[in-house]
Amino acid sequence: MPVSRRDFLKRGGATLIAAGAAAGGAVWLYDRTGKAGLGQPAAETLPNYFAGVDYPVSAARISVARGVGTDFETIDRMVRAAVGGLGGGPGLSRFIDRGDVVLVKPNVGFERAPRFGATTDPQVVRSVIRLCNEAGASRVIVADNPIESAASCFARSGIAEAVEREGARVMIPARVHFTPLAIRPAGAGGEPYQPDPAKYEALGTWPVFWAPLREADKVIGVPAVKDHNLCHASMGMKNWYGLLGGRRNQFHQAIHNIVSDLGFMMSPTLMIADGVRVMMRNGPTGGSLADVKAGHTIVASVDQLACDAWCYQNLLERDPAALRYLDLAQGKYGETESGPRSYARARRFGTRDWKAYRNRGLIVEANV
Amino acid sequence: MRITTVRIIVQAAMFALFVAFVLLTTFSNLDESPSLRYCIGKFLEVDPLVSIATAITTHTVYKGLIWSLVILIPTLFLGRFFCNWVCPYGIIHHFIGWVFNARDAKGKIESNRYRSMFAFKYYVLVGMLVAAAFGSLQIGLLDPIVFVYRVFAINVVPTVNMPLQAFFGDYRMHAYGWVVGFLFVFFVSMNLVIPRFFCRVVCPLGALLGVLSRFAFWRIERDPAKCTDCGLCLQACEGASAPDAQLRMAECFVCFNCVEDCPHGALSFSLLPAPAHEVKNPDVKRRHAIFAALVGGLFFGWTKASGKSTRDFSSTVIRPPGSVEEQEFLERCIKCNQCVRVCPTNVLQPALFESGVEGLWSPLMNFRMGACQYHCTACGYVCPTGAIQRITVEEKLGLGAFADVGPIRLGTAHFDIGRCLPWSKNIPCVVCEEVCPTSPKAIHSEHRQLLARDGKKLIRFAAANAVTLVDYPAAGRAVGDPCAFRPGEFRGDPTTSYHVQVHARDGSVRTYPVANNDSDTLSIRGEFDPVPEAGQVAAIHLQLKVPKIDTEHCIGCGLCELECPVVGDRRAVYVTADGETRSMHYQDRHRNRSLRLMKTAGGQ
Repeated sequence: MPVSRRDFLKRGGATLIAAGAAAGGAVWLYDRTGKAGLGQPAAETLPNYFAGVDYPVSAARISVARGVGTDFETIDRMVRAAVGGLGGGPGLSRFIDRGDVVLVKPNVGFERAPRFGATTDPQVVRSVIRLCNEAGASRVIVADNPIESAASCFARSGIAEAVEREGARVMIPARVHFTPLAIRPAGAGGEPYQPDPAKYEALGTWPVFWAPLREADKVIGVPAVKDHNLCHASMGMKNWYGLLGGRRNQFHQAIHNIVSDLGFMMSPTLMIADGVRVMMRNGPTGGSLADVKAGHTIVASVDQLACDAWCYQNLLERDPAALRYLDLAQGKYGETESGPRSYARARRFGTRDWKAYRNRGLIVEANV
Repeated sequence: MRITTVRIIVQAAMFALFVAFVLLTTFSNLDESPSLRYCIGKFLEVDPLVSIATAITTHTVYKGLIWSLVILIPTLFLGRFFCNWVCPYGIIHHFIGWVFNARDAKGKIESNRYRSMFAFKYYVLVGMLVAAAFGSLQIGLLDPIVFVYRVFAINVVPTVNMPLQAFFGDYRMHAYGWVVGFLFVFFVSMNLVIPRFFCRVVCPLGALLGVLSRFAFWRIERDPAKCTDCGLCLQACEGASAPDAQLRMAECFVCFNCVEDCPHGALSFSLLPAPAHEVKNPDVKRRHAIFAALVGGLFFGWTKASGKSTRDFSSTVIRPPGSVEEQEFLERCIKCNQCVRVCPTNVLQPALFESGVEGLWSPLMNFRMGACQYHCTACGYVCPTGAIQRITVEEKLGLGAFADVGPIRLGTAHFDIGRCLPWSKNIPCVVCEEVCPTSPKAIHSEHRQLLARDGKKLIRFAAANAVTLVDYPAAGRAVGDPCAFRPGEFRGDPTTSYHVQVHARDGSVRTYPVANNDSDTLSIRGEFDPVPEAGQVAAIHLQLKVPKIDTEHCIGCGLCELECPVVGDRRAVYVTADGETRSMHYQDRHRNRSLRLMKTAGGQ
């Protein structure tokens, strides 16, 4: 039976639509170079979390609070005293604006109980969260990417419980949370910056724990102060290592390069270093009470480099002049009196010479 | 309510319970609520085949396995109700068969007629129990509860989690999970060919319950006076137990479909019906059973004669903390993979044939995937048979009351010094030392002066703080070539420093740190004392931290192997089963006793 006109048009139309869709799809997806589908996703960049803080250059840069006791009340008083020493109204009001999402980054690197000093003291974390909430933060996120299983590290360190008590949120890292971050700007052609070992650089573009950073308006580092077998000390700058993903363990071949790069990468809103317990040896894992001394100290600072140097000298009782990564960090982002990296331009403080701060009266100390 | 409706509700509840147990089996759940530890494995503990087979191999009924009486005793009264009311794998088969059954009514009736191949499961049971009697526990390969726990642990949960990781966190990885998943899907798909294929043909637990059913007080009874031989009772008969003729008691799943489907009310579930109406015993030929027993015995011979769990043991057979000695382990482990599921770090992986054929799917530690978490003993909580004992953190780490016994060692770490960066490539590293969790650290490092490549030079001339060098002359030549260093090559970086050793003519050697260099001249920090003379040997060394292992403190947790930057499936530091404590008290079975003994001998 011959095909009717209507039928012919129907069938022919359907065939033409299918052929057109196939051709259109192929042209749309056509990759002439054969390389369009390759390569990394676009990299993120990190803002300067201190730039938005209205901080007078004459105000104290390091504020030290000392007190005896590891109960929450004492530690809370110490944290308040340390933060108060930086001035500018009650609590964190100078640093946190109403409605800010705050990322609090403690060191939760290992699955250890608080008494071993391998992780930031949970009471310190709790106090910092409380201060953030009092300053009007809309949300507080506590995040770290530990070496051991994250949930267990947060649980064993007591930080999970501390966070829960203050109504903040722990963010446990998962593979989907990591995104490449351009630590240094890409080249003109868009190709990622290649770190130059001759300049002691290690980080170009690297996957970081981006999920908490994406949400955060402010970042507060709450590092533990402890010994480290390879880079001598894990303090404020080393604490940002916990934001890295990927095969970060290969950085240990250039550990001072990477730690100073981390300082360059992250300009935090504030540093609150936990010197309640100080692991003096066998770090970074410790595991014995004999490795730990009572430090009785909380240090708040707007200059992570000087803060590290202060802690290295006064808590770990070592000479900062011999700590290579402080030296390298000074070269990478430290201030010079009038040069291109003055505070006015860089919008961040950075000197490894904490004694200069002392001589200029920029360190305040308090006992509680 | 109809009895089949009740059954469907119970089935749904049982399956939901099973899935809930699987999902709740995580370290943090069990750590926080100890009561959960006693319920998440209940399906395994009520499984009579698990308790009977482990009772045969170990002559004991381990802890929770006493719960199997909850199934065993009612089976003696009611028949194989377990298969269609409780068993999660049976429920999956039932459900899939119901949803995807495309047969017409006649086809359904034909597909549910008894076939002689259904006797195969009894031979599987006989073979496995005979192997168990010799000491090889294999029931876990096909026991439906063990099978379904294993599939969910290493295949279903990771597979479902993968697209949902944004919500539920990272999915697990298991190299051969797909094999288990393939078998699972194969048995499930067979429902489209033969309904309840696994349950009717393969299941050794079904076979065991079938044997026990012969004593059942209650069973399906057909009233021949009412029966019109229409065959409708076969339409949905799950067990293919011939309710239309003489009921095969050993095959009946007590699903009640036939009672419901009979249009004439000829079928009922009654107490002690007439013996003439039923076939009491399974359709097993004695000669076939003897043949199956021989095969089971043969299997035992194969496993033990391979030597893989004894003399030729693989050093990769590293068992979870709290595991009993390997021979005893294989007598207990049913390969349910509950430990693999609960492990918070993904370090536990199902084995292939590392421990011989009998170790298939038993848990091994793969330190490229994870490391044994220092304070975790979760695998012991969930082991239903005591292959992994329930230990405390104190016992694991040798603390408190266990200080004299010392920690549980899973094995010992070693360096592959050909691949280790400081050992062979003059590249600084010691990540292994950093992460080593013991105190004092089992991995420590020493500063070593290593001769740099072509580091042996001759001094051409020297100043107070610099030397100009030439290459050491090759054999047969009086003068060496001029050096061609890369400027700054020996300036060192923060973790490597270079030194120059000056060999004086009187044989004394002095070492000076290098500050910088140009193409042929090294400048040093400080000054030479004395200033060297031309023609003296100067050797350029670099100083590195080189890692070492103290076997006395190594517990074999594998964190060093996990974090080693020499990545891939072979790391520069790796853990083997050598020196494991679980075999310590077995003179003939201890794996590398020397690692420990020499240490103690040295101390005495």
